[in-house]
Amino acid sequence: MTTAEVLARPGSPVRRGIRHWIASFVVMTRWELGSLRMLLPLVVAIQIVIGGGFALGVGLLFENIPTRNALYLSTGVAVVTLITVGFVLGPQLVANHKMAGTYDFMWSLPVPRTSQAASWVAVNGVIAIPGMVAALLIADWRYDLPLSLSPSILPAVLLTIVAATMIGYAFAHAIKKPMITQLITQLLIFVILGFAPINFPPENLPGWLADLNLWLPFYHMAVVMRDGLTESLVTRVGRSYLVLTTYTMASVALAAWVVGRRE
Amino acid sequence: MTATSDINRTVLPARVLRGPRRWLHAYLMMMRFDLRGLGQWLVIGVIVQTLMGAGAAVMYGFYLGDVPEMVAVFIATGVPALGLIPMGFVMVPNMVGQQRIAGTYDFLWSLPVPRVAAAASTFTVFTSMALPGFVTSLGVAVWYYGIDLQVSWLILPAVLLTALMCASVGFGIAHAIENPVVINFIANMIIFFVLLFSPIIVPMDQFPDWLASVHRALPFYHMAQAIRDGLTTGFVTNVATSYGVLGAWTVAGWAATAWVVGRRD
Repeated sequence: MTTAEVLARPGSPVRRGIRHWIASFVVMTRWELGSLRMLLPLVVAIQIVIGGGFALGVGLLFENIPTRNALYLSTGVAVVTLITVGFVLGPQLVANHKMAGTYDFMWSLPVPRTSQAASWVAVNGVIAIPGMVAALLIADWRYDLPLSLSPSILPAVLLTIVAATMIGYAFAHAIKKPMITQLITQLLIFVILGFAPINFPPENLPGWLADLNLWLPFYHMAVVMRDGLTESLVTRVGRSYLVLTTYTMASVALAAWVVGRRE
Repeated sequence: MTATSDINRTVLPARVLRGPRRWLHAYLMMMRFDLRGLGQWLVIGVIVQTLMGAGAAVMYGFYLGDVPEMVAVFIATGVPALGLIPMGFVMVPNMVGQQRIAGTYDFLWSLPVPRVAAAASTFTVFTSMALPGFVTSLGVAVWYYGIDLQVSWLILPAVLLTALMCASVGFGIAHAIENPVVINFIANMIIFFVLLFSPIIVPMDQFPDWLASVHRALPFYHMAQAIRDGLTTGFVTNVATSYGVLGAWTVAGWAATAWVVGRRD
């Protein structure tokens, strides 16, 4: 019934305006959630297991984990849970659309493409946030952390999700072959986990690698999240917000260029 | 399907070829078949494996920050062992899963070669694919942490048995479970738990007792023990037990495979 409201009759004018956009956003979010359906609880559960598992597992590497390291680890894991959804799961689902042949159909729906992208971000948030919260709770229980929540956690989570989702979105749409997208995103996750100072302080890296990370978005995601979760663990937060915003806008532009072009 | 069996029944004069020469020939043919079937994935697999091995050797140091020599030895000898796991536990099951999706699975078993030769060829191919990553990660770790290892001839049986065990268990899982999606899920979960919760790159004393006992029965701790024993002196005791456990898992993988591929549908 909802589809009938949105579907345009032949010859009717193209609908525009903010109300139409919002209606499309709501419908597309329901569409995406509906098409995940059985998968959704499973994916959320896996995210929780991965987040919690990561927080506990890395701790086993240390004989006795110092509080500072534990703080870096657990706030980092919160970031990792958000990044993996945007980078791995998103492209994976787009790849599924491409393989199942529903990809072109999705673009033929009479909704603004920006509302489709926005609903995608919302769905990613629904999937990612429970895992993030679980990871933090488990880490706090295990390591007894001096966490202090501040209101800046809200923009931090939001910007991190949007940035990660849009980067993954741009990848998924820009690269034609789903297999290559998967290979790239999986390698990317490995590189991010190992070589970006998310789960450990930047001084553990060699100087040049730490400098390189200042130009990439991952370290900055960790900085804004740490700013929202702890006191005095990070400085120069403004710069990080700026870098993240730039990356988000660049990926939105890339995604818009890819999905807006005609074949 | 019926048409094919009719043809087989009529055309073959029913003389089954046997003997070691025939077996060796079939083994080599299947190896060519497997290599061709992997195609570009062979190259990609080896490259990814090598890069990840080298990367992992360095990144554990970043996580720990401060790496004393003892810890460095554990990392340097654990990461190569870790690198053997994905080949057997992920690539082998995925290959079989893809054969099922593509519909070539039944065709493969219909080839006129001994089934053991076909399985042996898969083990050989995947074990060889794992070796470049093993050597690279070991080399990178030794260079990066500046440590000395005492390599003994025992490293050879340790690596061969470990790689064989991984491929065998992966093969067993892949054949015993019919749904490729479930196989993929299980393979990923195994990797996740092994990477994070296995006493491979850290000593077992750091683990809670219950987890340590679980690991005495699982193969992952024993892989690391056998390989570490071939690379160091004085770090590992009771290596015979480890060989025994690895052998038992290998046989279990074979048994599962044999039971599945030997039965008629």
